[in-house]
Amino acid sequence: MKLQLIINGERKSFEIAPQELLLDVLRRNGYKSVKKGCGEGACGACAVLIDGRVRNSCTVFAAHCEGSEVLTTEGLGTPDHPHVLQRSFVDHGATQCGFCNPGSLLAAKALLDRNAEPTEAEVKEALDGNLCRCTGYVKRIEAVLDAAKTLKKHQ
Amino acid sequence: MLRHLTQFYRPQTVQEACTLLEDKTRKNVPLAGGTYLTQIDDATIDGLVDLKGLQLSSIRADSGGFRIGAMTPVFDVATSTVLTGPAGALLREAAKRIGSTPLRHSITVGGNLVGVFPWSDLPPALLVLEAEVTLANAHRKRTIPLTTLYATRPNDVIERGEIMTEIHVPAMPTGSKNGTAFIKMAKTANDYAIITVATRLTFNGGIISAARIAINAPTRKPTRCRDAEDSLKGKQITPELLAEAGVRAISGIEFTPDFRASKEYRMDVLPVVVRRALEQAAKANA
Repeated sequence: MKLQLIINGERKSFEIAPQELLLDVLRRNGYKSVKKGCGEGACGACAVLIDGRVRNSCTVFAAHCEGSEVLTTEGLGTPDHPHVLQRSFVDHGATQCGFCNPGSLLAAKALLDRNAEPTEAEVKEALDGNLCRCTGYVKRIEAVLDAAKTLKKHQ
Repeated sequence: MLRHLTQFYRPQTVQEACTLLEDKTRKNVPLAGGTYLTQIDDATIDGLVDLKGLQLSSIRADSGGFRIGAMTPVFDVATSTVLTGPAGALLREAAKRIGSTPLRHSITVGGNLVGVFPWSDLPPALLVLEAEVTLANAHRKRTIPLTTLYATRPNDVIERGEIMTEIHVPAMPTGSKNGTAFIKMAKTANDYAIITVATRLTFNGGIISAARIAINAPTRKPTRCRDAEDSLKGKQITPELLAEAGVRAISGIEFTPDFRASKEYRMDVLPVVVRRALEQAAKANA
């Protein structure tokens, strides 16, 4: 069957099977920032934004997203023009192996889209579904709080 | 994986969805948030009926209480500004303790109630609020108390071709003071519960006129602790009374062990958690 998505701002059509997961469809079509971690909704490595909501793409049928806007980290920034959050993650050392970063960044973006001035507790809650085994969680919280300040300054 | 799935339906009306689910020639099942159906291995399902297009995602308040659409993501319940007062606070707290942020965006209120999953933290909260649920098929609607849904298993109550469309939380009795509390005891913030307890105490002139206690996770299904509730009715709060109610909460409860905790451990801990939840709810009378 056909699946139409607006992915990273581009209207695209994919050929899918009805039982396929969004995660597998995205990776097959080159969106490799979307990582397969646990495959059961526990780690958040595959998190993407679907119509502005952060969801684990391993727990979402691709067909369920017909007509939706999907944002992956490919649509967040580029090496030459990183998103403020990406810059901040690097500056604060909130990245080591990098496997969790795409999901964590999108969870952080979903938070800042809803709440431009989050408290530390709100950042922790927003990232509660994204496991990070390298950096120990403190640095990415600092990174998100700092990115919020920078975004505010730019406005 | 749903190995033999051949169709993915996207109905736009309740009637359309229910007609598809009624079809006896094939096995069509309703899809809500998908956190369960994406994970199972099942070769018997022919079609998924996605309920996303039915416009069942909303939270409203009126003089009769709260009305929550069955397809509302529990994230929206957890962060709702419409859900206020002791009933609203209880619902927000219970929804907030389900899974993690990305899962709360997927998991729906209806799915959480019908599925009775290890992450079903909403049923105890809605049980103590005496919620009703509306079930619709292609021809009619019916509204039943949530307790009826859990008298056996939801799938024994919900008929073929029927879906849950709405949850109604009645307004608290006027002229009374109401207190609620929700405690989820788990190994980590996101883990499945070892014990989930919800309580509601209604006071009239310092006397408990109604007490509701419901638990989930250590049992096969969400359960009201009626013995404990009865022991509180018509009484004035004392520390001994609440402790005694905690002990009574065990009676008639069938605990199920898993690798998180043994039956015995849950049995020891439940009275303490119930007492604490009652103490919290009793603050409304302070």
